[in-house]
Amino acid sequence: MADTQSDSKTRLRKFIFKALKATIKGGLFYAVYFILWMFIAPISEIIPGFQQTVEAFVITYVILIIIGELTSGTIFQHFFNAAKALFVICYLILSLRGGILGITFENLSLIVDLRLFLMIALLLGLLGFAKSVLQAINYLSEKAEYPQI
Amino acid sequence: MRISIRMIGLATTLFWVFLIAFSITAVYSVKDLHFDFGDPQMSMTADNKVVFSLPISIVNRGFYNIGFFNITTEISDEEGLVLARGLTFTPVIKRNNKVIINHNVTIDVYDLLQNHQDYLFSDGELRMCASASMRLAELIPVQASTNLSMPWGAPLYNFLLGELNYTAFNITHFRALVPVSFENHAFFDVVGNIQLRIFNSTSVLLGDGETVIEVSQGALYNGFVELYVPIAEMTESGYFEASFLTPLFDYGPLVIPFG
Repeated sequence: MADTQSDSKTRLRKFIFKALKATIKGGLFYAVYFILWMFIAPISEIIPGFQQTVEAFVITYVILIIIGELTSGTIFQHFFNAAKALFVICYLILSLRGGILGITFENLSLIVDLRLFLMIALLLGLLGFAKSVLQAINYLSEKAEYPQI
Repeated sequence: MRISIRMIGLATTLFWVFLIAFSITAVYSVKDLHFDFGDPQMSMTADNKVVFSLPISIVNRGFYNIGFFNITTEISDEEGLVLARGLTFTPVIKRNNKVIINHNVTIDVYDLLQNHQDYLFSDGELRMCASASMRLAELIPVQASTNLSMPWGAPLYNFLLGELNYTAFNITHFRALVPVSFENHAFFDVVGNIQLRIFNSTSVLLGDGETVIEVSQGALYNGFVELYVPIAEMTESGYFEASFLTPLFDYGPLVIPFG
């Protein structure tokens, strides 16, 4: 009975710790976004819907960070990390429209070629995805090597 | 395996930080890039071509150099045929530097008016396509382009020959004065000669004359061409052939009937 009580207390403590860690990570990520936004804010005046697109990305990414942290210590953490990496890849491809952005303002058309940036970002995203897969493999192999008694 | 995973994680994080920092500073640098356009100048070359020159001052106070700065201007007619093209290229605009470039577009008015004789007598519009491209931080290509229409003013707008005024010159000839009028709507002065030949109804050349013209931009010309016409061969109707000789264009004969 006492064992069950202390077990549930440990679990609660662990969950609170995870929740705290997830909140701090999410908060830090949002703070970094907030600071960086001050530098790129002028773009939102030129590109309509730019702020909404970035905000949607930040919200989804923060949610994935929080879920990833809450599920840490389980195989789901690696699933969410892989989902985070895939989300970044898909988001970049879709939002940058293949790397060539075109904006038309009255009679002026502006074309920005971001293919090099997109390529590097995709490679980094894939590296992140590979890392998550490796982490999942490592997690499973460690579980198989040291089964819980 | 853990160490290699950590190394991958560390490398990925470092590259992400570098990429994000670079992207944001590159975007932020655009804010500190200033373009100033001076007053356009017009000049003539030795071979009578008109050169439009636009001074552009570029101040780069951003974090990075600007590479491959290129301005292209294309002037075409209403059918899309390219009449003139100007290209200005600057390999690098270094950071914290000011560069002044002259963008020149040379128009061969002689060629233009030989191929498009409508432009001699009728006002119209020319299409101008201007584009500027550069590489932000010498890496990110950016291109801005615009289409404009440019008014074309005809140098011999509303060219008219008035009523013939005859006066007896001697027993065999009349002295005829032909009033000539037109407006110079062009961006250049019209300086040269108008040659006029008069033919009777059977296409026999009766006489010719010429007058010197010097009409500045936007001015109206009213003058006369003096002709000596044989009385015996003069008919009530006939036609004139007008030719124009200027350093910028030659045109003729323009057939104008009378009577």
